[in-house]
Amino acid sequence: MRGFGSTMGLYEPGRGFLYRTPLPVKAAASLGCAGIVLAWRSPFVTAVALVLTVGALVVGARLSPVRILRMLLPAAPVLVVLALYQGWLQGWTVAFGVSGGIVACLLAARALTLTTPTQDILDGVARLARPFRVVGAQPERFALALSVMLRSIPYLAGLFVDVREAAKARGLERNPRVAVTPLVIGAVAYAHRTGEALTARGLGDHDDGDDEEDPAPAPGM
Amino acid sequence: MQPAEKTAAEPVRSSPSPGRRSGRRWDATDLSLVAVFAALIAALAILPGIPVGPLGVPITLQTLGVMLAGIVLGPARGTAAVLLYLVAGLIGLPVFSGFSGGFGVLAGPSAGYLVAFPLAALVAGLLAVVVLRRQRFRAPLLFLACLAASLVTIHPLGIAGLVVNAGLPLRDAVIVDAAYLPGDVFKNILAAVIAVSVHRAFPRLLAGRAPRD
Amino acid sequence: MIEFAGAQVRVDGGRTILEASLTLRERRVSVIGANGSGKSTLLRLINGLLVPSSGSVGVFGRDTRKEGRAVRRTVGFVFTDPLSQLVMPTGREDVELSLRARKLPSAERRRQAEDVLRRFGVHHLADRSIYDLSGGERQILALAVVLAVEPRILVADEPTTLLDLRNDALVRDIIAGLEQQVVFTTHNLDFALEAERTLVVDGGAVVFDGVPAEAVAYYRSLVGRPVRGT
Repeated sequence: MRGFGSTMGLYEPGRGFLYRTPLPVKAAASLGCAGIVLAWRSPFVTAVALVLTVGALVVGARLSPVRILRMLLPAAPVLVVLALYQGWLQGWTVAFGVSGGIVACLLAARALTLTTPTQDILDGVARLARPFRVVGAQPERFALALSVMLRSIPYLAGLFVDVREAAKARGLERNPRVAVTPLVIGAVAYAHRTGEALTARGLGDHDDGDDEEDPAPAPGM
Repeated sequence: MQPAEKTAAEPVRSSPSPGRRSGRRWDATDLSLVAVFAALIAALAILPGIPVGPLGVPITLQTLGVMLAGIVLGPARGTAAVLLYLVAGLIGLPVFSGFSGGFGVLAGPSAGYLVAFPLAALVAGLLAVVVLRRQRFRAPLLFLACLAASLVTIHPLGIAGLVVNAGLPLRDAVIVDAAYLPGDVFKNILAAVIAVSVHRAFPRLLAGRAPRD
Repeated sequence: MIEFAGAQVRVDGGRTILEASLTLRERRVSVIGANGSGKSTLLRLINGLLVPSSGSVGVFGRDTRKEGRAVRRTVGFVFTDPLSQLVMPTGREDVELSLRARKLPSAERRRQAEDVLRRFGVHHLADRSIYDLSGGERQILALAVVLAVEPRILVADEPTTLLDLRNDALVRDIIAGLEQQVVFTTHNLDFALEAERTLVVDGGAVVFDGVPAEAVAYYRSLVGRPVRGT
């Protein structure tokens, strides 16, 4: 997923202590950051969180400050407007506390996904979900669903571009129905093909296929 | 990117397992439908959104994806798709609008909208099952189903999010939220029209036909 | 060994889209026919992706209807479009996913995955995004993924249709070198000739069954094209 993955902020190989930090530690730090910022919302806490996350990215993942700013660009419009609004109504310290806190949380999350192979994140989630087995959850199927989802995003993005070009070729690019319907139909067809491929490989069936004596008739599809 | 001939053959292929809908466990196809719709919501969310109103909560096609999940896949798989999307975003994968992700979004002004999404898919899906039992007026009825779902879930929770997270007075929050209504109506119409086409292309996706055998 | 005993597939309206009674023992069986003739349906019956509406399909004596899961473990299936076959972001992860069915410790699983990737000469591509690979590389990976669990039969639905000439030849070479019994559909009549037995499917029935050269000639006459010198 590298082509699209790099724009999405998924794993990029590199060096630095963040790459060597175990996933649970990174996850706890990222979660802790969100929890603390959510609960306190004070400018001081926010400043500490910002220094820590930016520092971690610069030292721990060898990212340049420019790179970090560019990561925030897509979320910038919302953040700037939120900061201006709150600064105007409730004062600039409050504005800094809230917007800066969100920036810190975003960076903390990105620090995790950038330095951990995606497959490890998925395995981690499956491990985390394991206790829920008792209530009938199936962590392996959940992790498989996450994989299929991540893998489908670039496919759908490509399909979206194809569909838009086809609409343009027919002079229908201003009709959103023409632009989106084939995308959704394509998505359903793609899901069916993927489901069939999973079935053909004996994956994604219940209980990961270890009950040989399944009395149910073959699940045709 | 895909051979068109295969797409057309899909509905035929599932034929030997009639009545695959009601109350059975999910097979690999259900799993991938859930996963692919979660991806569809993400893809629609990642496309650049238009910031609207004083807080600039972006109008994206994200909610279009949420509604489609509900009325195309039905309540169970639709809600599962939205939940999968939310979980992916919350564990840090950048699938929310503006490539954001992580628990930090729960501190942001649009948190209320995110929390409302699975409920919206559930309500829209439940209504869609009723609508799709009939053959006539499907598009307008599906539109009403989506509109009802967004009015009882997305807007109230979105307003609550604006009040709690952005510190807006309730009156202002309602006004800010109202700025999204026109876009919402438009997206719900779009969702309904698309869903009718999808159900025509894949008639067995959701119970909406007379039971066979 | 694959056995179709009066197997019929009907769609909801009751229309029969395929009917077949055959026993396939040959190491290489090719299936040719027009789009929509029923070739893909025939292949899907073999590993239980489809079960017949009446009659039965057996693989090494196992009924695809009653023992679908066991049959699928015996029969590997390669699709036309490798992008719908590969579900993981990289080839290595996908091979490991296949091997998960064996419930090995993760170190052993990793070692076996590396073995499989080397055997198919794609270990240097294994960590790249499948979107960065060419169509041919993807199809070879898809083959590796399916053959990783060593099925006794390989079924391939137009495995070379989306490939250019060079990759077409590569995939055909790999298939030619396999020990397994292989049943494949194709629109490439040269590829069809590489089998020991060829079925021509038309309108949901096997209309010719025999030596590849004769089958191809029959198929050409069926679509109204004279036999050109082969």
